[in-house]
Amino acid sequence: MLEALAVFPNELAAGGLTRLFLVLFPFFVLLELPLSLLVLAGVIRWYTRNLMTTPRASLYRPRVSCIITCYSEGRDVQNTLLSLCEQLYPGEVELIPVVDGATANEATMEAVRDFRVDPVRYPNRFLRPIAKWQRGGRVSSLNAGLSHATGEIVFALDGDTSFDNAMIGAMVRHFEDPSVPAVSGSLRVRNSWHSLATVMQSLEYFLSIQTSRVGLGEWNTVNNISGAFGAFRTSFLRHIGGWDTHTAEDLDLTLRIKSYFGRHPLRIPFEPTAVGHTDVPDTLRGFFMQRLRWDGDLFFLYIRKHRHSMTPRVLGWRNFLMTLFSGFFFQLVLPFLIVGYTLAGLVLLPLNVIAVLAVLIYAVYLLQTLILYLAGLLMVSERPWNDLKLAIALPVFPVFMFFLRGWGVICTLNEMFRRGHEETSMAPWWVLRRGRRF
Amino acid sequence: MQSPSIGCLTRDPGSFSESRWHYASSLNELREQGEYDVVLVDLDAADAADVVFLLRCDARYHLTLIYAGRDRTGNAPELSDGSIPTDPNAITEAWRKWHQRLSEFNRGRYPERFDEYVLAWLWTRPEGRLKPVRHPHHAQFYYYPLLSAFADNEPVNEMVWLQLMMEQGWLERGPLTDRIRLCTHCGSARLNYVDVCPDCHALEIAREPSLHCFTCGHVAPQDHFLKQGLMLCPNCLTRLRHIGSDYDRPLENYRCRACQSFFVDAEVEVRCLDCDTHHTPDELRIREVRPYSLSEQGRLRCRQGFSGEAQAESHFGRLNLVSANAFTNLLNWQIQQSRRYGETAHGSLVLLRFANLGEALSQERGTTLLDSLIDRIRETIRETDRCARTRDELLWLLLPHTDRQGMDRLRERLTELNRLFREQDGIHIDLRTVGITLPENLLPQEDSDLLMARLGGEVS
Repeated sequence: MLEALAVFPNELAAGGLTRLFLVLFPFFVLLELPLSLLVLAGVIRWYTRNLMTTPRASLYRPRVSCIITCYSEGRDVQNTLLSLCEQLYPGEVELIPVVDGATANEATMEAVRDFRVDPVRYPNRFLRPIAKWQRGGRVSSLNAGLSHATGEIVFALDGDTSFDNAMIGAMVRHFEDPSVPAVSGSLRVRNSWHSLATVMQSLEYFLSIQTSRVGLGEWNTVNNISGAFGAFRTSFLRHIGGWDTHTAEDLDLTLRIKSYFGRHPLRIPFEPTAVGHTDVPDTLRGFFMQRLRWDGDLFFLYIRKHRHSMTPRVLGWRNFLMTLFSGFFFQLVLPFLIVGYTLAGLVLLPLNVIAVLAVLIYAVYLLQTLILYLAGLLMVSERPWNDLKLAIALPVFPVFMFFLRGWGVICTLNEMFRRGHEETSMAPWWVLRRGRRF
Repeated sequence: MQSPSIGCLTRDPGSFSESRWHYASSLNELREQGEYDVVLVDLDAADAADVVFLLRCDARYHLTLIYAGRDRTGNAPELSDGSIPTDPNAITEAWRKWHQRLSEFNRGRYPERFDEYVLAWLWTRPEGRLKPVRHPHHAQFYYYPLLSAFADNEPVNEMVWLQLMMEQGWLERGPLTDRIRLCTHCGSARLNYVDVCPDCHALEIAREPSLHCFTCGHVAPQDHFLKQGLMLCPNCLTRLRHIGSDYDRPLENYRCRACQSFFVDAEVEVRCLDCDTHHTPDELRIREVRPYSLSEQGRLRCRQGFSGEAQAESHFGRLNLVSANAFTNLLNWQIQQSRRYGETAHGSLVLLRFANLGEALSQERGTTLLDSLIDRIRETIRETDRCARTRDELLWLLLPHTDRQGMDRLRERLTELNRLFREQDGIHIDLRTVGITLPENLLPQEDSDLLMARLGGEVS
């Protein structure tokens, strides 16, 4: 460390820092900073808008259908169903737990069967389970649920995710505006304090879902409607044909909805007060394997499947730029740049210079994380005391993100050369084999 | 032996080849034609059942062999003796057997009273049973068609009667068909079980869920927590977002909307739909419904006759009962003596009526109590006194050479005794007594039948 500090003046004198600055600064200023500022501005706009508007009681209470995709969750499904029964929403809620592969997942099927909706305690809640005896994958579960749904609004929810009791009320509010085809909901980590991996993921969910999507949603550029928690206008969803086979059906659906944006004034709001609590992988290995799937799917979707819709004519300028930037560039190109620069640096630069650079980069990213974190904590979080505890993970977070970006390269390469999306566990191979290849 | 006269009720006489039979097309026609030894009812199932019942109600056909319908599957109408046999000789054969058995009944005496008819019916049909039939219109849901048919105009409490027969050992129980609960007031089984407020017994109660705030431990009804579509703890103002992590539902009590009381378990109350009496479930009378058949002892009694030792087993049997006919004869003789010899031939007649006999017998201690009461009566009366029962609950005592004073003393002792029992055991035997002394209280022209009818009217 001392050595590195000693090198600093030398480099400064030799004009090296200027050079380095010129190399690194555009990186940050041109790419990262605008996005961060956009998110931050969005958060502030959302916050002030919220402060100004007076809460109003609406009589808009459409019937809601909740499709809950269940697989091997076992008795956890009952928590999900109970949390949906407990919703404060005064309208009717139809619960459609779809058990995929019910023959094999006996425990889950049993849990769904055992669950009773007390008609006195929950007068407006109806349970209509669907058992898919043969496994058919997540998409088939969602579409089966959609075909039986009778609600005006349909929710796509995960069997291992439970919800705050204001969730449906908060989500449904947005559909009063006819230009809203879908609403994205916020996800929190339920098993936050199980391990280091879950703490880091909690912070990541808080920053990239709860806080960032508030900012993005404010500019109508929500990047994704999470598969574990999204709401759709049933008529619209049926119109575009429901969910499509292949993996990452949530991002696929988001992109397909967005492909109407160029022609119609539609918007997808994000609702931070509608909160779902989900379990994340306990171990780092589990986490990285999950990301291998998710990040690989990005390449599959952006480059293979939806290549042709990546035009401003389809997406509208705003979403085109945003997808290009945050989706395409940040998720697919940037990891290569980072890994490339790091490897090049390791080869070309002396070790002490690398150390200094690392500290510098770390400091910048820590500052950026800190600002976003504070904005989220002060303006967005509905459980600030819980989120305050996550602050101890902040110093590690930039390192965590660095490795995550690095892992992104492997993910993309895995998809590029091995067509990793075809190895998904979200559907059985005999279903995937018949899907259209891109 | 002669062959039976056979009456056949049919709409299509052509389908029978027997010329000796008498055909009728309606029940009235059949009745007017006279009395037949065997009746055939050739109608469809529903009509046949009605006709058989109506025939059984007719005293002439109480015991007669009645064949109904041509259903070969064994679903012959209730109270019939099966479906019409295809072989006419079988009818004659069956009638002969029946006739033989009837002639053995009670030493050849034809039955006169209700219970004699029932026993005779069972006696003449070795496979015969008193079968309970379920009917939703019936207040107790079950009734015994045979008892209803034989009851004629005299209403018989089937339960009491069967209980009495059981105690005397003449009938035996079949397998349990059902267990019903009856209103203690009117005996109806049409009961409604409702949950009511344990304090004010109001019907209007509602379940009221309560919430428990984890932050401060506050527990209150759910609606105290709901404020403008949000769930806030009214005590600590914490926002409750998620069941299991912020709050739970620890209890679910009931609230009475009439008296506002708050309780865990509602009380179950039974309301009689017929007389609107309210009971607790354990107050209800329980009745077991079963078929009955003639017991060994009953068969013995039918064979040996009703008088004499056969009655030894019954409660009242220990009183040296004489038959009703014998009693009226004795009474007539006493009346004649009193009329002729005046003051020197005193005599008294006492009638005891056990008005709630059935109820007393259905209680656990009631039977014992009745037994000891009868023991006391036996001790009280003299050897020269005569007792008889004309109906289940009516006990007659003829006390020769007993004047007004003596009779009053006897009545006093009996009432005294009954009061003692009531105080000791809390069981109430509703004993009513009435007595007259001969010849003072005798009306002109009055014979034993008129006198007994007069006294019977006084205690009913």
